[in-house]
Amino acid sequence: MSFRHPTRRGFLASGMSSLAALAVTGSVPGRAQAATPPGVLVVGQIAEPKALDPAAVTAVNDFRILVNLYEGLTRYRPGTLEVAPGLASDWTISDDGTVYTFTLRENVRFHDGTPFDAEAVKFNFDRMLDETHPYHDTGPFPLAFFFGSVARIEALDPHSVRFTLKEPYAPFLSNLAYPTGLLVSPQAVRQHGHEFGRNPVGTGPFRFVEWRSNEAVVIERNPDYWGEKAATEAVIFRPITDANTRVAEMLAGGIDLMVEVPPASLAQFRDGRFSIVEQAGPHLWFLILNCKEGPFADKRVRQAANYAINKEAIANDVLEGTATVAAGPIPPAFNWAHDDTLEPYPYDPERARALIEEAGAVGARLVFYVTEGGSGMLDPLPMGTAIQADLEAVGFDVEIRTFEWNTFLAQVNPGLAGKADMAEMAWMTNDPDTLPYLALRTEAWPDTGGFNSGYYSNPTVDALLEQARTSTDQAERAQLYREMQAIVHDDAPWVFVANWKQNAVTSDRVKNFRLEPSFLLHLASVVKD
Amino acid sequence: MGGYILRRLIAAVPVLLGITVIVFLVMSLIPGDPATAILGAYATPENVEKLNRDLGLDRPMVERYVIWLGNMLQGDFGRSFSRNRPVIDEVAERFSATLVLAGTSFVLCAFFGIIAGVISAVRQYGFADRLITFAVLVGISVPPFFLGMIMILVFAVHLRWLPVSGMYAIYGGGDLADLLRHLVMPALALAAVAAGVVARLARSAMLEVLRQDHIRTARAKGLPERRVILGHALRSAMVSIIPVLGLQAGFVLSGAVYIETVFQWPGVGRMLVDAILTRDLMLVQGGVVLVAAAYVLFNIAVDVAQALLDPRIKT
Amino acid sequence: MLALILLLALATPFLPLQDPNATATAERFARPLSPDHLLGTDHLGRDLLARLVHGTRLSLAMGLAAALLAAVLGSILGIVAGFLGGRADNLIMRGIDMLMGFPYVLLALAIVAALGPGLVNALIAVAAVNMPFFARNIRGVTVALAGREFVDAARLSGMGNLRIMAVEILPNVLPVIVIALTTTTGWMILETAGLSFLGLGSQPPQADLGSMLGEARAALISHPHVAVVPGVMIFLVVMSINLFGDGVRDALDPRLGAGAPTRPLPATVVDRTGPPPPSQAGHGALLAIDDLRTEFRIGRRVLPAAGGVSLSLGRGEALGLVGESGSGKSVTALSVMRLVASPPGVIAGGTVRLDDTEVLDAPLRILRGLRGRRVAYVFQDPQGTLHPLYRIGEQLTEAIRAHQPMSLQAARARAIELLRDVRMPRPEDRIDDYPHQLSGGQRQRVGIAMALANDPDVIMADEPTTALDVTVQAQILALLDQLRRERGLAILFITHDFGVVAQLCERLAVMYAGRIVEEGPTAEVLAAPAHPYTRRLIACVPAPGAGRRRLETIPGLPPPLDALPPGCAFAPRCHRARPACSDGEVVLRRTGMRAVRCLYPEAAA
Repeated sequence: MSFRHPTRRGFLASGMSSLAALAVTGSVPGRAQAATPPGVLVVGQIAEPKALDPAAVTAVNDFRILVNLYEGLTRYRPGTLEVAPGLASDWTISDDGTVYTFTLRENVRFHDGTPFDAEAVKFNFDRMLDETHPYHDTGPFPLAFFFGSVARIEALDPHSVRFTLKEPYAPFLSNLAYPTGLLVSPQAVRQHGHEFGRNPVGTGPFRFVEWRSNEAVVIERNPDYWGEKAATEAVIFRPITDANTRVAEMLAGGIDLMVEVPPASLAQFRDGRFSIVEQAGPHLWFLILNCKEGPFADKRVRQAANYAINKEAIANDVLEGTATVAAGPIPPAFNWAHDDTLEPYPYDPERARALIEEAGAVGARLVFYVTEGGSGMLDPLPMGTAIQADLEAVGFDVEIRTFEWNTFLAQVNPGLAGKADMAEMAWMTNDPDTLPYLALRTEAWPDTGGFNSGYYSNPTVDALLEQARTSTDQAERAQLYREMQAIVHDDAPWVFVANWKQNAVTSDRVKNFRLEPSFLLHLASVVKD
Repeated sequence: MGGYILRRLIAAVPVLLGITVIVFLVMSLIPGDPATAILGAYATPENVEKLNRDLGLDRPMVERYVIWLGNMLQGDFGRSFSRNRPVIDEVAERFSATLVLAGTSFVLCAFFGIIAGVISAVRQYGFADRLITFAVLVGISVPPFFLGMIMILVFAVHLRWLPVSGMYAIYGGGDLADLLRHLVMPALALAAVAAGVVARLARSAMLEVLRQDHIRTARAKGLPERRVILGHALRSAMVSIIPVLGLQAGFVLSGAVYIETVFQWPGVGRMLVDAILTRDLMLVQGGVVLVAAAYVLFNIAVDVAQALLDPRIKT
Repeated sequence: MLALILLLALATPFLPLQDPNATATAERFARPLSPDHLLGTDHLGRDLLARLVHGTRLSLAMGLAAALLAAVLGSILGIVAGFLGGRADNLIMRGIDMLMGFPYVLLALAIVAALGPGLVNALIAVAAVNMPFFARNIRGVTVALAGREFVDAARLSGMGNLRIMAVEILPNVLPVIVIALTTTTGWMILETAGLSFLGLGSQPPQADLGSMLGEARAALISHPHVAVVPGVMIFLVVMSINLFGDGVRDALDPRLGAGAPTRPLPATVVDRTGPPPPSQAGHGALLAIDDLRTEFRIGRRVLPAAGGVSLSLGRGEALGLVGESGSGKSVTALSVMRLVASPPGVIAGGTVRLDDTEVLDAPLRILRGLRGRRVAYVFQDPQGTLHPLYRIGEQLTEAIRAHQPMSLQAARARAIELLRDVRMPRPEDRIDDYPHQLSGGQRQRVGIAMALANDPDVIMADEPTTALDVTVQAQILALLDQLRRERGLAILFITHDFGVVAQLCERLAVMYAGRIVEEGPTAEVLAAPAHPYTRRLIACVPAPGAGRRRLETIPGLPPPLDALPPGCAFAPRCHRARPACSDGEVVLRRTGMRAVRCLYPEAAA
């Protein structure tokens, strides 16, 4: 099948004549665009991918394409965030937790026909981690630090590979399942160099066909796939930046599947022609409170903020039920590590007022950093506005300052000291370790290179997190995380607001579609009539 | 005339250079850097520093500018990290899309604006005049993105006459008819405001001209009224309409930023917004230089057209 | 409308509105006309009416402030650049070019991103991107002013540049600034909406119309009213500001005079009350004008420019029509082919017959066929009456082809021939010139050639030589005289110069205040004027060959046309006037070839 339009550039010049435009379109009365044929799934994406090189990208939006083209050594078991075998059929971990030996699946080939073997694995990680590697310059590889603990990779034989870590690092297997750990064809990297990102070659159930800049990325079924073959002939990913336009395309039948449906538009799709799919994910939307100075230096005021904000209203009304109320720093999607007994702070303005009075913070003025939008930030402006109204209702004087996402990060990441009392933030992670380790430890204060922008510090929490990270026993880690959650819940360095339920809408022609808690979009089993 | 064009082209060079300096300065004033943009929540100082080094952004501003300028003069516009490809490829592709959209819109706005203005002037205070005046007021007080969204709802979602977005059908298509079907709504939405402005101006210019003595002369010669209006009056009115058309080109280009977003048109306007938001300096530079060059060329073309139209202008 | 909106904005704090920022998320997206919310609620359950009123207030303030800021900065740059000229001008304008060189939305975006959030910063951004617009406009006006006499005078009187700019230039460009200001204010409000669309609006919870629209966008499909409410308000605000701006422009722009400009219709409106009068000139006259009444109707005022004019013109005859400016000579001539600008001109009575056929009620198509073919005009100022953008050859061939279908080459050959006929030197070269490349006399020759293009029967020459210097004048007159004799043309020659009439015309008629006051053979009238006005008028003119005479002036001014005195209009200025002169209508009494409208004419010969 061909998706190419060899003559299109020629039309650009002739397209300039708008009079002709009117004449011709006038003579084509009322013809809607042709519906896409069965077996070709059109997915509405939120943006154009940056690249299709898994080591080079960071956006969930790009991951949604990548996981269909590539596979990693491990993957998440469908419907969970637990690690399962991927291209590695098995592995062993040394007792001290520093040596991982993987057995690779046999008879797997990349789309370009080259075999998948231990050397290919080594090539992938060396490319990312070794600055002297000949293809290191095909980067940059912004998330290489996911594997920063790797000291050495050795190909023991064609089908086994050994990773030696500098220190025990529990999230390692989970990070391998993350898109940064997806494996690319060394041959293709050598061939395309810098342009590999636009000529992706992996082992996955789909292979790359073409990328029409800012129009579509087309992938088709990989007939030589080692596992179960894809159920659709092809998938077309269309970037549609504007949420309203995406909704309109969905309603008009221009796309079969869209992700990240704006909450306010969900009602449009509740009429039987569409189905709405929801799935809670490892996401937390919270407010960083400045624990170092100002009113939030007092724990009672922080708790008061947690009581004062009507999180139910935010989750159900502002977000139209696309999120659940968050209880603590670890999202429930990490089911093994989440403390199910932890209850969210109830909405209790009276209690909040009492605490504020007790702390002598009545009428305190708060500067609140809000972003205009950003990865995982949901509807930050309306949410910020609602939060502002709630806090003012219990006697604070809240001044919102909004920033465009990038500027916002540049303001918040270096710390709130001297600037603000609170800031919005959201994280999507793949391991329960990531967020608390990077954003709650004393050593993660901004001046030492972490994301603890509110300067929370509790030695017990620090110790628990260090311990959980080096343990390779999941049960033990779970216990440590539960202890940590209870303490953090009470200390309230953040206002825990919401856990996002990612959503997607499909037309009634699409069957067998499900969302994963990992936010990844596996489409191999999806059928389109 | 040739010498004049050459002089204007030479005079444009410092303007373009100045623009690149401004862009460099403004971009360096904006807080946040590409590394933060790429890393998002993972932007630790350590990671940011490493990435900046990889991107070659750790050098001083002036040095980077000089390097960039040197490369550009040799035709190398650098590499866009946010699009992960040579700037020139991305910009060229996007720019041709914008050219189709903005060019069509410009022609539409000029054509309909002038026609509406002429009718309005000739039928002054008549029904057509009032109708056009009202339509023009609506046109210039509706933000283009809003108009675009309304058009999508009506013509694409409800009536299903036209595709919602994009430049070509995603499956099949790709021919001229396909392009035109995708072009109708964005081009009209983009042309609306500018057409309103042009119509207002054309109306007052026509009214002004119609009172001039040479129109009476034309009528005294016994010329058909159509010839008096379109030949004599409009030709004179064009002298004051053309400079405004030049200005509209700027408005159309700016409006394209919104329209390209709403209609997912793969153009350079939206690309530049994204490039600014991701602090992709190379892409911003490349895009701005090209857009500015096009703008400057267009303005030279406008002035040349003006000089061709009005023999009294010395070139 | 604008006043209403302004009033609303000013009164906002005192209105019994709900708190515009009180959220009630459970009541979000309430429809308009719900019990508690007249216009419904937005995505956070905030009252739309309250937000709308507050938003309007803020938007107006922002739009005005941004426009003012842009106007002040832009005007300063524009005036300095335009006034100083040279290098400063170059420098500033190149800077402005740079700002205009890329889409201003991007500039605004970058400025907001660089300055950080906040309404004030957004305001600065919007102002900054609009500044070049003002600078360019103002510079253009200033350049034109800088060369004017009063600026030179100020310079000579030792005023410093700064003072000249402030005292002399600024007041003169102020109208332009104000006009640009009013037209951009609405635009500014829209631009804040645009910034908010790109995600850079005002700071919540503040409502301005732009960010209200931007916020409502997310729910446009499901809850359109949230967007429609601010949308309609923006429309009303922008519309009223624009209408206000038009008003200001009309009031300030000196070129437009009183009120908006009106354009003349293809032919003068004919609105005759009574039945057309019978011809008095008798049959056989080529052109017969009878009791022609042409008025200017301006508002409620009615100015009778031609108050019952009767004239006739025989084949090959030259008739001089003499009078002061404003006496109605030109209006009479233009009325013949219904060329009086209308509005405000209206032909209110009388007839014009060409070969005994009434032309005033002819349909436009027929009239068009007569214009230029039977009756051609030569106008006073060839600079303004030739089209400045067409080559003279084009204008001539166009005139020829309007009535004689022929090929372009044939028409061009004929045009050269015509130019030769009017003694244009080197017609083959001149034919491709533009009017501005010709001298005044040459332009008038082109005007005459154009009039001759279709061999008309009558030429209406409306002061064709007034704008020319004396030697050229004589040449043109000689030319006209010669052409008349060669071709048997009838000429109605309008002038205020008896010398010219004496040279060219067998007969003359004198007009005063819209009426013929005297008529007769030229030699007789000149030798023995019967009407005191004619006498005084002749006395004003140094007659060539009559030796030096004491030039007389007529005391007083002609009466305003809408307040003509009863009886003889000249009576108030007449030294012979008696009470009877003002008693009632004075008729034109005809004796033989002569006629006079006077009760006590000068001792007739």
